[in-house]
Amino acid sequence: MTSEIFEFLGSLHPLLVHLPIGFILLTFLVDIFIKKKNNAVKGVITLGWFFSFLSGAIATLFGWFLGSNNYYFESQIDIHKWSGIAFVGIAFIIWLLRFLNFHFSRFFSRFINLTVLILVLVTSHYGGEMTHGKGYLLKNLPYVKKELNQKILLADKDNPLDSLYVYEDMIYPVLEEKCIACHNQNNTYGGLNMTAYESLIKGGNNGAGIMKGNPYQSAIFKRVNLSQNHPKFMPPSGTPMNYDEVAILHWWIDNGAKRKIPLVKFRNDNSIRKLVEEKYQLDLKEKSYLETLKLSVVPDEKLKLLNEEKFQWRFLTNENSLLDLKFTAKKISVNDLKSLDQIGEHIAWLNLSDCQLTDDMLSHFSKFTNLTRLRIQKNRLTDKGIKFLNDLENLNELNLYGTRITDASLEVFSQMKGLKKIFLWNTRVSANGIKSFKSLNPAIEIITGL
Amino acid sequence: MSMNCNHDHENKNYSRRDFLTKTSLGLGALSLGSLISPVDAYGKSNFLNLLESEKQRLPHFIPKAKRVIYLFQSGAPSQLDLFDYKPKLNEMFGQEVPKSVIGGQRLTGMSSGQNTFPIAGSLFNFKQHGQSGTWMSELMPYTSKIVDELCFIKSMYTEAINHDPAITMIQTGSELPGRPSIGSWLSYGLGTDNKNLPEFVVLVTKGKTGQPIYSRLWGNGFLPSKHQGVQFRSGKDAVLYLDNPPGVTSGIREEQLSSLKKLQHINHADIGDPEILTKISNYEMAYRMQTSVPEVMDISDEPDYIFDLYGEDSKTPGTFAANCLLARKLAEKDVKFIQLYHRGWDQHGNLPKDIKKQAKETDQATAALIQDLKQRGLLEDTLVIWGGEFGRTNYSQGILKPDNYGRDHHPRCFTIFMAGAGVKKGITLGATDEFGYNIIERPVHIHDFQATLMHLLGIDHEKLTFKFQGRRYRLTDVHGNVVREVLS
Repeated sequence: MTSEIFEFLGSLHPLLVHLPIGFILLTFLVDIFIKKKNNAVKGVITLGWFFSFLSGAIATLFGWFLGSNNYYFESQIDIHKWSGIAFVGIAFIIWLLRFLNFHFSRFFSRFINLTVLILVLVTSHYGGEMTHGKGYLLKNLPYVKKELNQKILLADKDNPLDSLYVYEDMIYPVLEEKCIACHNQNNTYGGLNMTAYESLIKGGNNGAGIMKGNPYQSAIFKRVNLSQNHPKFMPPSGTPMNYDEVAILHWWIDNGAKRKIPLVKFRNDNSIRKLVEEKYQLDLKEKSYLETLKLSVVPDEKLKLLNEEKFQWRFLTNENSLLDLKFTAKKISVNDLKSLDQIGEHIAWLNLSDCQLTDDMLSHFSKFTNLTRLRIQKNRLTDKGIKFLNDLENLNELNLYGTRITDASLEVFSQMKGLKKIFLWNTRVSANGIKSFKSLNPAIEIITGL
Repeated sequence: MSMNCNHDHENKNYSRRDFLTKTSLGLGALSLGSLISPVDAYGKSNFLNLLESEKQRLPHFIPKAKRVIYLFQSGAPSQLDLFDYKPKLNEMFGQEVPKSVIGGQRLTGMSSGQNTFPIAGSLFNFKQHGQSGTWMSELMPYTSKIVDELCFIKSMYTEAINHDPAITMIQTGSELPGRPSIGSWLSYGLGTDNKNLPEFVVLVTKGKTGQPIYSRLWGNGFLPSKHQGVQFRSGKDAVLYLDNPPGVTSGIREEQLSSLKKLQHINHADIGDPEILTKISNYEMAYRMQTSVPEVMDISDEPDYIFDLYGEDSKTPGTFAANCLLARKLAEKDVKFIQLYHRGWDQHGNLPKDIKKQAKETDQATAALIQDLKQRGLLEDTLVIWGGEFGRTNYSQGILKPDNYGRDHHPRCFTIFMAGAGVKKGITLGATDEFGYNIIERPVHIHDFQATLMHLLGIDHEKLTFKFQGRRYRLTDVHGNVVREVLS
């Protein structure tokens, strides 16, 4: 019962603190603006100090009740508490001296006023930070860059998606902002140090911080999920973790809470994937080589050089940088191939099937550096020509059905880094050759037909 | 391909529709419209609609598929006798479907009046096949062999309860006629990959009866009519009236057409009807098709083992097998959307006997097509779809006998399968309850299926729109989510 009364009185602290502030400011104003200080004015000033002291003392007492119910940590309260007490103490002394008609020099009076004013500002600022969160004072100023509750993790060349980790890049920054002020090497409240992965897992006096695979037995997860009114809710002040942050923490613990779970793991879990993608503006979709490729737009004048009677082309993306190109006439010539040189790097898919392509023509293909799909089936090609394809390291699909290549070409295929699929129906490649190729290159699929 | 200009009216500059479209934007737009020379509009179609400006640059992202072969099984094949294995129905053969299963849902007028709804377990044996362990009935022995290439969706559903609205829905995204068919949208959005053939070709199995198939299913709706599907008939004249009349040589025809084109351009400059431009492009396409169509329809070069693969029917023009073979040839020629229709699946009675026949007609050729595309490398960028417009009931329509039953329409669940570009192999998505009546896992609506199809072709289904009658339309209207689970 008594503790409830104290708790109630403690809750009045934020209300009462405004009284001493009002009294002392009024006292200052009277002191400053009434030049002729007769006895009546002096009496008012003395009374002002008295009420500042009295209301300050009551507010401090209530503040003490509030602070002792563990909602706040010592480190947060310290400055606020001691500057408040100092204010009350000084107010009492000044009132007493004035009451005893002690004479204040003008300079001393100003000095006292200034000191007390500073104490009031310090006390109320730190009190405000406890109530409204750190940085409340300036966060709404128009020229201060708003701290949006959205972190942008950019996957780029220096920081590709698979080098980002759930703990290091998503969870730790949140802990750093909301928990680590009180749970670090120096201030281990509740015996918990959240700065290091190991000690975070280990937890503090209340058992395991993180129980791998089991969020609901992890003290940290439980504490951030309590009702915000609950005395044990974490963080006790400042902005609580939001839904996304809690959801990611949940997912991480659920999935083993390992230090190095890469972000790409979210891919397999639709429930969290969308949330992560939106919150962090990430695109978790697995990217093919072409999707990561950044090329300039194919210049119009170069496209115009293509013979429309012989080539049909279209863009593969709306960035107009990649081409899907097909030869449509019956017979291709070296000059036709040369006309592609200028746009060589833009050709992603190329179809030159059934157009009397010859071995030596394949030597022109080295210009097509970004080729991923090549269809040159139904041409009289032999092993001699295939050698020229060796350099096409981004090629992953190669269609050679209906050509005259033999087992000798298999050697070339095994050296082509990007190759994933080869079509060899109706060629002279032997079944045994394919068998041994497959055992050596299990990642490459060979389609031979029925 | 009608022209909607009005020769006898006083207003010679606009057809009624164009006039209304223009003036609805205010008189300012009308005067602006007349400042733009219609001749300049040639090929861009500035009139009637916002064709080019509506079109974002396409594709929106790198496509997985370049073309689609849609083996449409008209009449609604019974998923319970082909794919969706429900042993519970055999256990309870002849018993009443529990009321809790039907749950007061609407039934068609054809069976809602029945006093009894006896459960009809399939008479056909099911077995698991392939590494994926996919259940298939004995009706499809050939397709069973390639299940590891296929992606089944067993949780398709639609709202339509009868054939016409259901087919119209799956083909155009709306139960009411008048919207463009899928192939027309693709033709409009992606253009051509082969200037000598239409982007959208339709092949209908000859001599089948049952629910009618009509040309509006491959119609262009409100899109310019050059995007409509072109039906290739079986036999000598694949496209009617394509050949030159006796005595007219190719040279004469060409001269004729170029003179006609001049006249049409004059006419277009005067009237400004965009359908004139469509007409010009149709004449030109027809001229090119005089050589390209006979070439693609000629199957005399095909070796015997290919005919063996597709089955004996494949030598008979107009059969499903022959059409499958043609579909492969059209795919080789980069026709974008090849739609086959095979009628006769609407088995309200005598199902066990009739479905055997239907399955025999389609099973081997379907499997052959997928295998043939695969060995040619075409399955890498061709999407093959097999399916009907809805499913069939788990209870018998009419009297249930130990060896005979019928099944009524059932829109609440049905099965389709896909193969090829961009879809996972050897998977089954979604599931129905043990009665095969309601979906219990991952429902996929027609619009979701359409959104997925568009996605595979590199199109964001929400972005390919066409403004008509004051608002923007799209294939999926205001619905549809890409079924990401099936994407490879």
